[in-house]
Amino acid sequence: MHLTDEQLNEYLDNETNEREQIELHLHSCNECNARFSDLQNLFLELDSLPDLQLTRDLSTRFATKGQLTLQLPHWLTLTVFAQAALALIALIISIPFITTYIPQIDVASLTSPLFEIQSLWNTWLDSLSTLQLPTIPELPIPVLEMSSLLLALAGIFVIWIFGNGLLLRNQIR
Amino acid sequence: MNAPTDRDLILRAKRGDAEAYSEIVTRHQTGVFNVCYRILHNRNDAEDLTQETFMRAYNRLNTFDIEREFAPWIKRVAANLCLNHIESQKVTLELDDERDEDKSANPSQQVEVKERSEQIRQALSSLPANYRLVVELRHYQEMSYDEIANELKIPLSDVKSHLFRARKLLAEKLYAPD
Repeated sequence: MHLTDEQLNEYLDNETNEREQIELHLHSCNECNARFSDLQNLFLELDSLPDLQLTRDLSTRFATKGQLTLQLPHWLTLTVFAQAALALIALIISIPFITTYIPQIDVASLTSPLFEIQSLWNTWLDSLSTLQLPTIPELPIPVLEMSSLLLALAGIFVIWIFGNGLLLRNQIR
Repeated sequence: MNAPTDRDLILRAKRGDAEAYSEIVTRHQTGVFNVCYRILHNRNDAEDLTQETFMRAYNRLNTFDIEREFAPWIKRVAANLCLNHIESQKVTLELDDERDEDKSANPSQQVEVKERSEQIRQALSSLPANYRLVVELRHYQEMSYDEIANELKIPLSDVKSHLFRARKLLAEKLYAPD
């Protein structure tokens, strides 16, 4: 009974538990030993195949990049969607507050400082037209109500969240 | 001063240091190119995929375990890319007329080595793509049968049959009497 091709291959690949039996048989069977030698030669020839050289150096392409940008891990990119979802939820939650506070905002109180700013701007323009050094007037600091401040902060928060999302998306590409 | 290890270079590359990654490419590009060439047997495709391999590898550096050897990892990335390339293109592979590097001092030996290497490459190129891939992973990346089965997501029995059949075909081509 001769060794099978499978046994010889597995022996040379170190993937068999029958090493001793196979070795014993190879010592006593010329035919199997000849097949074994042929296969061993093939292994040697494949394993000694020389490396070919590249026609161009690929490393220069990376060296000229200066600073490389790593792709963010997948889990981190998912936080962009989580942030966007949170921002949306925050917006939805803030709607009742917005509808409550907007009517309370005294629009007349805002028009007065705006009018003052506009008149100051006109003063500046007049000063420039006469080519004289203008005297910089002091700007009035409008007193903001809590509701206006909250609205402004909510707006900034939403813009910041979506801005972050856009930045991360561009980095992934 | 000692040259930096792959580990040092990868740590620097992870922080965005392009020169460190460029040095990694210099060290491993020949090995990766030869993986691609043995599978694809086309110099242009092999060079393009070598470049693609290093681009992909850079983007996956965060997933690379710094305690492992870099060379086997990058070669597996290359082999996978070649497999995807073969599957997507269903290419009829065109064999390049390649010349192997001269390493032997004796001119007649050089000619012999070149001719024999050429014959081996021709024989490898004549194998079906899935056979070539298994030969690559077993002989050049020294993976076990189980590792190959996991890598290619095929049954262990298919790994063995592809590998043994490939060797039989290679032997028929290389040792057939003239």
